[in-house]
Amino acid sequence: MAEEKYPINIWINEERYQKLQEAGLADMCEEMLAGLKVLRVYANEEQKDKILKVFPTAKFDASTTKSIELLPREVKDKIFDKIVEKRSVDILDEFLADY
Amino acid sequence: MAEIGHGGKEIVERILSPGEAAEKIKGLTQVPIRAQIANEVIGLAYGFFCPLEGFMGKADVDSVCKNMRLANGAVWSIPILFDLSEAEISDYGIKEGDSIVLTYQGNPMALFEVEEIFEYDKKEMCQATFGTTEERHPGCARTYEYKDKFLGGKITLLTEPKINPPFDPYFLPPLKMRKAIKEKGWERTVVHQTRNVPHTGHEWLMKGAWLQTYGELPIEKPLVGVIVNAIIGAKRKGDYIDEAIILTHDELRKAGYFGDHNHLTSLTFWDMRYAGPKEAIFHAALRTNLGITHHMYGRDHAGVGDYYGTYEAHHLLASVKDDLKITPVYSMNWLYCPHCGEVTSEGLCNHRDEWQKFSGTLIRSIVMDGVKPPRLIFRPEVFDLVMECAEKYGFGSPFVTDEYLEKRTPVFTIPPLSA
Repeated sequence: MAEEKYPINIWINEERYQKLQEAGLADMCEEMLAGLKVLRVYANEEQKDKILKVFPTAKFDASTTKSIELLPREVKDKIFDKIVEKRSVDILDEFLADY
Repeated sequence: MAEIGHGGKEIVERILSPGEAAEKIKGLTQVPIRAQIANEVIGLAYGFFCPLEGFMGKADVDSVCKNMRLANGAVWSIPILFDLSEAEISDYGIKEGDSIVLTYQGNPMALFEVEEIFEYDKKEMCQATFGTTEERHPGCARTYEYKDKFLGGKITLLTEPKINPPFDPYFLPPLKMRKAIKEKGWERTVVHQTRNVPHTGHEWLMKGAWLQTYGELPIEKPLVGVIVNAIIGAKRKGDYIDEAIILTHDELRKAGYFGDHNHLTSLTFWDMRYAGPKEAIFHAALRTNLGITHHMYGRDHAGVGDYYGTYEAHHLLASVKDDLKITPVYSMNWLYCPHCGEVTSEGLCNHRDEWQKFSGTLIRSIVMDGVKPPRLIFRPEVFDLVMECAEKYGFGSPFVTDEYLEKRTPVFTIPPLSA
């Protein structure tokens, strides 16, 4: 059975979009919910548990979206910066290594 | 004509006139209460909790835990308790048969006729109410925090609470709400229970429930109203602030997504227990007392974590349907379908692989990221008002912060007794 993956949605505001454009990464965005741009970083079960433990305000939306939500904006900014630096959304191991 | 509430009992407001109150409390012991108890005093005195007239005695608690009924047979699912420690009872010198004055914010709030002082096993109460004894369940945690003795007896308000702006227009206790419904000419009403700022999924839940409730009624004039009943009580950091919740719901009416002819926003003071199915039963009693005829129930109503099955509340409601005077309206989720290009019901749309589900939590994340959601998902008037509330009431944030908890204007205040 394929391992369950849980997205963290990095919603793209103007500031983030500008950074993506400057890095030539604007086409990494997906479009969701009638026009919102988003980068989706996927966590496995172990990473999800660690995120919920390290960032107590975060919440796993188990009933509707199956996504990890309510991470503080500064945490998401760090995840976003790591994506831009690595030019990939596969950065969670490296990001979580600091915690 | 008598207004009959849950359990077939007439709703009577238990409130003394100012002169009578000052006379009644002379020489009585004063006991300060916390916010949860003050909320419940209001619930009891105005008839939100009819047929209860006061905090429960042991026979009622035992019957609620064992049979989900009060000792008189009326369906009831959550114990309503007044707790004190043995030392406090001794220090205040409280005995069965005494009357005491409950004070809140330093002022006399209610007269409490203490009929009974008793103990009850908290684990048993948790198992019966929440289906678990685990401390991580917020309802259990609240129960374990109760002190070890419970006092039962009737409650009478000494003075009406002053509901502070911007909440004042939305406090419609049972008798007032029933009058408002009659004035609207609504033959049926359907209630939306909320603790959230509405996104369009919520809006369509309400609109769907309105259609379900309308049924076979004639359509020449508006006969059905949606009543938003926001639960105002204990807040957790990260929740939307209360001001944003109540004002944005009303904004759906003001901005024309609903209208005066079919929408009314109101509030009830209650600290959520997250008791899932048992809380659903409690909500049915509460809204019956408000004179509402239909009640929306979605999936995992008032649940938390994975403690309850998706439809457990619906099944429990069905088991006592003959004892309830309110009709459940079951609601399917609404979601965004990019193929349809609209918000649609999961019971209607079949582009399942394309569905994009959204929740209040997801919308909060979008707002926290500094992004304005599209109008199909979150109405621009609602978003703008959320931001306005952040500045006006939330110390810069639409979400509850330590600063908000410390400095906010209370939803209600208890004024000093006038002689």
